[in-house]
This record gives sequence, C-alpha cells and structure tokens, in this order.
Amino acid sequence: MSGCGLFVRTAAAARACRSLVVFTASRRPLRTSPPIRAFAKHLFLGKIEKKEVFPFPEVTQDELNEISQFLGPVEKFFTEEVDSRKIDQEGKIPDETLEKLKSLGLFGLQVPEEYGGLGLSNTMYSRLGEITSMDGSISVTLAAHQAIGLKGIILAGTEEQKAKYLPKLASGEHIAAFCLTEPASGSDAASIQSRARLSEDKKHYILNGSKGLTLSTQLECSGMILAQVWITNGGLASIFTVFAKTEVVDSDGSVKDKITAFIVERDFGGVTNGKPEDKLGIRGSNTCEVHFEDTKVPVENVLGEVGGGFKVAMDILNSGRFSMGSAVAGMLKRLIEMTAEYACTRKQFNKRLSEFGLIQEKFALMAQKAYAMESMTYLTAGMLDQPGFPDCSIEAAMVKVFSSEAAWQCVNEALQIFGGLGYMRDSAYERMLRDTRILLIFEGTNEILRMYIALTGLQYAGRIITARIHELKRASVSTVMETVGRRLWDFTGRTVDMGLTGKLGVVHPSLEDSANKLEENTYYFGRTVETLLLRFGKTIGEEQLVLKRVANILINLYGMTAVLSRASRSIRIGLRNHDHEILLANTFCVEAYFQNLFSLSQLDKYAPENLDEQIKKMSQQILEKRTYICAHPLDRTY
Amino acid sequence: MSWVQATLLAPGLCRAWGGICGVALTGISISQVARQLPRGLHCSAATHSSETALVPTPTEPQQRRTKAVVPYENMFGQAPNGKRDKASFLQAVQKFGEHSVRKRGHVDFIYLALRKMREYGVERDLAVYNQLLDIFPKEVFRPRNFIQHIFIHYPRQQQCGVAVLEQMENHGVMPNKETEFLLIQIFGRKSHPMLKFLRLKRWFPRFMNINPFPVPRDLSQDPVDLATFALRRIEPDLSARVTVYQTASSKDSTDVADPTQPHIIGIQSPDQQAALARHNPTRPIFVEGPFSLWLRNKCVYYHILRADLLPLEEREVEEMPEEWNLYYPMSLDLDYARHGWDDYEFDIDEVEEGPVFAMCIAGAHDQATLARWIQYLQETNPALAQIPVVFRLAGPAGELQTSAGLEEPPPPEDHEEEDNNLQRQREGQS
Repeated sequence: MSGCGLFVRTAAAARACRSLVVFTASRRPLRTSPPIRAFAKHLFLGKIEKKEVFPFPEVTQDELNEISQFLGPVEKFFTEEVDSRKIDQEGKIPDETLEKLKSLGLFGLQVPEEYGGLGLSNTMYSRLGEITSMDGSISVTLAAHQAIGLKGIILAGTEEQKAKYLPKLASGEHIAAFCLTEPASGSDAASIQSRARLSEDKKHYILNGSKGLTLSTQLECSGMILAQVWITNGGLASIFTVFAKTEVVDSDGSVKDKITAFIVERDFGGVTNGKPEDKLGIRGSNTCEVHFEDTKVPVENVLGEVGGGFKVAMDILNSGRFSMGSAVAGMLKRLIEMTAEYACTRKQFNKRLSEFGLIQEKFALMAQKAYAMESMTYLTAGMLDQPGFPDCSIEAAMVKVFSSEAAWQCVNEALQIFGGLGYMRDSAYERMLRDTRILLIFEGTNEILRMYIALTGLQYAGRIITARIHELKRASVSTVMETVGRRLWDFTGRTVDMGLTGKLGVVHPSLEDSANKLEENTYYFGRTVETLLLRFGKTIGEEQLVLKRVANILINLYGMTAVLSRASRSIRIGLRNHDHEILLANTFCVEAYFQNLFSLSQLDKYAPENLDEQIKKMSQQILEKRTYICAHPLDRTY
Repeated sequence: MSWVQATLLAPGLCRAWGGICGVALTGISISQVARQLPRGLHCSAATHSSETALVPTPTEPQQRRTKAVVPYENMFGQAPNGKRDKASFLQAVQKFGEHSVRKRGHVDFIYLALRKMREYGVERDLAVYNQLLDIFPKEVFRPRNFIQHIFIHYPRQQQCGVAVLEQMENHGVMPNKETEFLLIQIFGRKSHPMLKFLRLKRWFPRFMNINPFPVPRDLSQDPVDLATFALRRIEPDLSARVTVYQTASSKDSTDVADPTQPHIIGIQSPDQQAALARHNPTRPIFVEGPFSLWLRNKCVYYHILRADLLPLEEREVEEMPEEWNLYYPMSLDLDYARHGWDDYEFDIDEVEEGPVFAMCIAGAHDQATLARWIQYLQETNPALAQIPVVFRLAGPAGELQTSAGLEEPPPPEDHEEEDNNLQRQREGQS
C-alpha cells in the first residue's frame, strides 16, 4: 500500500471533480437537469446531434501531464518485467507481477480518491488501458476486477459498503469478481438457479440453490448449493458480486422471485472454487467455477435494493464495455510497429515485403481500424465524462463490437504477413491471435450486443414516431401524401445537408465529401428505420437478420462521426501528421459509406441483395436433420 | 395372333422411340407401352402380381409346353449339395448352355429362371441378370431392314427380354453397361427391351432417393433392433432417447418368476419429459394402442402414453418474465404490430391434439406388460407417480392378421379395457 502511495498521489491531484462524478452515480434520481440526449439514439431518427460529438472531446493540459507521468512507470514495467510468453505457458500471472501491479495502483483506477483509488476519469482510464493491454491476461484480470468486479459497489453501493470495501479493493489487497453467469444460464437471467433466503433472525441471507440437473450439480457432490461457472478471477478473488434470486413481496402482495445483488466475502464461509479452467487464450487470467454453499451474507451486504439486482447487473455490464476500444487500439498500434519492422526487412524475390500491394493493403487496413477505434473510444469516453450522466450504453456497445471484430481481423492479417513464421508457437502473434478471440465473446457476445444496439435504438425511435405511424396506418391523407412526396424527393437523389459542412460547419473542408456521405447515410438510415418500424412494429425483435444490419449501419455511422470529429480537430489544432489522419478518415468514411449503402438496400423489401429467406431456409433444413445433408460429390445413383 | 397385335403395337413403339429421341419424354407414352405390351402378348386373363408382372404364371405355360419345362426344372433341382445360392443358380444356367447348344427353349428357361431367382436369393444380383440375358443368342433377333424395324421383330423373345428387365426393376436393380451391351447385341438399338432399359436408366436415379424417410432393404430380424428403428422413425425429435427397458428372456433363462418376459423398448424426448413433469396430476393420462406401423413387409405395434388436450380455461398463458435478458430487450414496448403486408404467416386452422409423453413397442400387448413400461418410465419421470394412468387397449381393427415374417399379431383383445372409472395404476402396487 505504501509503495503505491507515491503514484496514487501524483495521479490523484486534479481529479476531485471526476471522482465526484463517479461518486454521485448512485444518486441519479436526484438529478434535476433535463436528460442529455444521446447521439446514437438520434441517428435512428435520421438526425445528427452535432453538439454531442463536435468538437472532439479534449482533456486539460494538467490532466494530460499527470497521466503521462503515471503512464511512464507502467509502460516501463510492462515492457521490462512482464513476460507474456511465460504467463501464457504457465497459465498463471506470477505473484510478484501481481504485487507490482497492485503497487502501481492499477487495481483501483476508477475507485474514487477518498476510498484510496486513483479516481481516473473514463478518458484517462481508457488511456491507461492502451498500456495494460500489452498483456492480454493482465488486461483481462484488471478489467474483471475493476470494470465489472467492483463496479457494482461504486455504482450501487451505500456509503458504508464503499467505505468498507473500496479501499482494500483499490489497493489490490482484495480482488473482486463478478458472479452472474451460471451453467444453465448465459444471458438468460430468468434461469438463474442460485437462491438467497432470509434467515430467521432477518440478519443474514443464506445463499441457497435449487438442485437442478445442471452440469455443476453433477460435478459437485452433496453440499453444492450454487454454482457459478467461469468466473474470471474466481480463484484469486476474495470479494464477489453475486446475483441470486430472492423472494420479494410485490406491491400487490404477491410473492415473486427477483434477482438481488450481494457483496460476498470469501470469509463468509462456504465459498469454494474449482480448479482454473484451461482456455484457448488469455491463459494467465484465472477463470474457474465458484460455489457458494450455505454462505451467510449479512443483510447490509445487499447491493442496491432487494430485488433490484437485474438493474444493477445491467448497469455494471453496460458501463464496462467502452474501455475495450482503447485496449485493442493500443495493441493494434504495437502490432503495426512489429509487423512493419518485419515487412520492411524481409525480402522475397529481391523485393521487400513492404513493396507488395497485398501486404501494403493489410497495413492500411490495420491503420484505418486502429484510427477509427481510437476515435470511437475517446469520443465515447469523453461523452461519458461529461457532467449529467449521459446514457452512452449504445455507444459503448458499438465500440466493443467494432473493436473486438477489428482486433480479430487485424491480428489475423498481421499473422498472415508473417506467414508460416507467425504460426509458430515461438512467435508472439499466435498468442495474440488466441488472446484476441475472447474479445468477440465476453462482456456480451457481439451477436447479443448487436441486438442490444439495434433494439434499444429502435425502441427509442419507435416511441417518437408512434403518432406518425398511426396516421400512416389509418391512411391519413396528409401524412401519406407527405410521405409519398418525400420519397419522390428522395428518389431524385437530392443532397442531404445537416449542417456538418459549409460556412458554420463543424467538419473541416478537407473532409467535406466524407461529411456529406455521413449526412446522406444518416438521412436514409432514418428513413429506413421508419419503414422498418412501419413494417414490423413491435415484432421487429424477431427479425434478427434485419437487426444485425441496422446495428452494422449504426456502428459504421458512429465510426464515421468519430473519425470526422477527430480528424477535424487534428487539422484545426495542427497535430503532427494530420494529413495522414485525413487520408485515413476519408478512406474509412468512403468504405463505410458503401457498406452502408449495401446494407440499406438489403433492408428494402424485396431487395435482390437480401437473401434472408434463403438463409433461413438453408439453416432450417440443416438443423432439422442436425447434419450436413448434401450427398457426397462422389456419390452416384447408377 | 401375335402378328396382329404386333402390328397394333408397332405405332406405340415408334411413338415411344420418338419420345426418347425427342426433347420431351412424356410419361404417357411410356406407361401405355409398358402396360399394353405384356397383356397383349400373353392374353392372360389372370392379374399378375406386381412381383412377376411379365413372367407368366407357371400354370399357363406348363399347359402348352409341358414337355419342355420338365428338364429345366430338373436343372434347378439337381444342385450338388441341395444348397440354393448364387453358385448353384449359375451352375444351372451354365448347365442349360451345355445342354442346349443351339439354345433351344431359351425363352422358357429364362422365364423359369426368373421365377426361381427368389428361391436362390439372387433376385437382387445384377451379374445374375446379365448372365440370364447372355443366354439369348446374339445378333439373331436384331432387325435387319426397315420393315422389321417398324413391326415388332421376334416378339416373344423381345418380351422375354423385357420381362428380365422388369424383374430387375421390381427389385430395384440398376442395369449397367454390360446389360446395355448385351441388349444391343441381342435385340439391337431400337427394340422394346432397349426401350425398357433406357427408361430404367432414366427414372431409377431420379426416384432412388425420392423417399425422405427410407427404410433399409434388409430389416433386422431382432425385434429389439426393429423396434428401435420403428420408434426412431415415428419420433420426430432427434434428441429423443430410446431405452431398452427389458429384453425378451430366453426359454432357458433362470428367471423363474416370469418365464415369458416380453421385450419393452420405449422412446422419450427431453421435451416430452418436461411436459410430463408439468402435467397436472389430477388429470389422468392414457396408455393407448396398439397401433400398427408397417416397415416393408413387417408390421410392428406401438403404444403411446398421452393426455387429453387441456380445456381452454385451464391453459396457462406463458408470460414473459420481466427480468429475462440482461443484454437486450426481449420485446419492444410499442403499440403497433407488424404490418399486414409483411405478415407472411398463413392462416392455418390447426387441429390441436393432446400431448404425447412417450411411446413404446413391447413384445406383448397386455396390460401387465404396459404397466411395467409405465413403471420403468417412472424412474426417469418421477411425476408419473402422482398421475393416474388409464389403460385403453383395443384390438387392432382391420389389420392383416398374417404376413410373412410378421411379428405375432396381438391377440384379439378380449380385455377391452375401457376403464372409465379411472383405474389407478399407482406405482408401488406392483
């Protein structure tokens, strides 16, 4: 603790206001100011909320100085002392490394300062994520500890709970884990089996489970009451955020099962964990089953309200996502360095690899993705850091989806540049590829997040245009005429102007084309959303292939906005190499624009590009037989 | 006689050839010729079984050629060790070749051989059919001028060739290149057997896999295997598990208590298991059967465990839990539904039926056996202990009582167990 004091203090100074922001998060209902309008939701209406995203968020010079002071030692530690290969091979982060991480204060980055943490803002937290991602296992361990493990206490904990737990968690003396998923329930909260029962004296909850035919009950012999599988940090942790079902008396007197969140210490007794699971990637992180058997949890350890665990879980999950973007961006930047080094030295056919077009293409791709990812992350972090608690969960989800997929794609391409060399166990790329794969899966799989992105936005847009849709369905003459007229007007291929460019525009003239493309895409996206809602109404939740496209378009739109905003800022303040940024931004926008056009045309009814019916039919036929049903090409009938 | 009919048939042949050579091969001309040809030539009033449509019944030719038939019968009779297999069959064919160098009476011999094939178990052997065709003298029956082409040339021989192919067809034997070569050598390119051959070549591959639920050609003789296959065939759910509850005890088994223990094989899917667990114990469930299922020439009888459809007022509306999905809203809170133009659901009036919880095939169809099945089921379905089980066993009305290789049909049920007074089959009684 004393060792980290220095760093804590140096990093602590000017962030009182930030920590206050985090600190008051639990008092959200008291807020009186009008709700901040979220940018992404407005895209669904075909509008761009310029104020939210332009100009690109900045941090003060003081903050920047402090964070760079803080970054130095961390980076030094990671480059010099962390042996990623050893961690990967042994499947364990060495204790001395963990100790050093603790002394650097990396376990309490977002814990408010009055509880002994660093109280970093979201932006600063993202910046640090770039460094910690040098090792996947450490990065995941840290994220499981503070992005979800102890986030519950920060978001929903009472004063006493915070005072009791946060200091030790921030110092790393205790490690936190988040226990939500169960063997029988992945994203399905209704099938959570674990139960907590109030004891006779009403002072404790006793974690109790029903014995289902789950895998875990079979594994465990008699006493197993509750199994939570695959908890990152499960073996290291001594503080758990556990979600269990409790009986709650409703307002109308009926008894219902509702999820409640608890803070459970390992010392409460009855907490055991299985042996660490062997995984494909992030092998150094500790993932194992955790069992709670008649664990007595004091009543004061209920997190949030009794029966309010669902909301707590959702808030924690939604808040933890955006930071993946910076971690991946940091990794990609290092990856580009390493691959470029190789490509410029290795010779084939008397030419350097870097002279081949197919290799150059890969670098352009990596740079573009990294650029867009960085822009999106810091834009989101900046939005989150604004006072007034904007709801940026869609934006965060978009960052997560984009960055995880880009990471997989780029690492894959990088490995391709190395060819057979990259495939060898000795190279770092093989490990990176394995480590990267988890990004698409955890913190909500990308499929689920796409549903989240699309459905949340459609819900918002659907409410707002309810009146219009009712009029259209009643065939109100004026509304129908207006719609038809607008369609005709759109059909002429008019230019859409939302004021991003031009005299008072927020986008720099050198990005004008891209900005126009963004405007056009956004406008037609709004139209398409309206049509989709008119067509499918509330049943749109069943049209997953449609929702996927909606989410893809939205992610692209957000990426375009982010790069435009960032590149404009870079030119205006004259950052180094801003011409390169313009190039990247413009290329990204053009690509995204055409992708969007394609997706939009697929969303039209009867579009020839849309193969959904065929796709569904194919998979139906296969799933009916549960096998690949075609005859072998060598089979014959005579 | 045959001359006149051949004259009448000639246009049919021409038409059919036109069809084959032409672009479209219509089904009409094919079926016409195929049907007319045998009837016309044989003048047989007897309706042929599908097995031997073209092979004349033994009684008819015997009357005409009594003398000729006897030696051929002998040829088949005098297998060295009395064994009837492919070797002895081929031996007989070979013997005919040696016996009659000029191939006299070859048509009769082929007809006889075709009839004998099943006895020797070679009815599905392509090589044997080719051997049979090989008996025909080559080049003799080929038409040599256009008049012969127009009129049917050597009708009896051609018809015999068609009979061979027809039998191949009935047994699903696909002719090969050798067959084609032989037919060309014997009858020439434009002949009825060749036409038949081409039709086989065309339609066999197309219809080979037309059945989405194929039954293997040789069904297992073991009742347990057969029952397993039958149950899998009835049950659409692929995760259903077949359980062999008990196998038939052999005569010399030590089981004194129940010397004639019939086999019981049941199937139940996880969904059915769950449905049974949810079943309201105050409502009885029924064991019904036996129902018949034909698998080629075998018939098996199965029983089902089912319940009546719940009356409308008792059905629970499955409500969506509020706190279900941690990640995204499961249903949108909007007050407009899907537009009619995007609603592709057909308005189907479905007949709703009560749930079926399990099925079984047992060696005996009496209540005792089925009660044992229910007992076994209870091991995996504890809820069954609380639910009254009613046995509604009836004789299989209107089914064939005898058939080759048939499992013994259930005894004509004298225990019409229409227990309307809810006979409770509580577990633990037995």
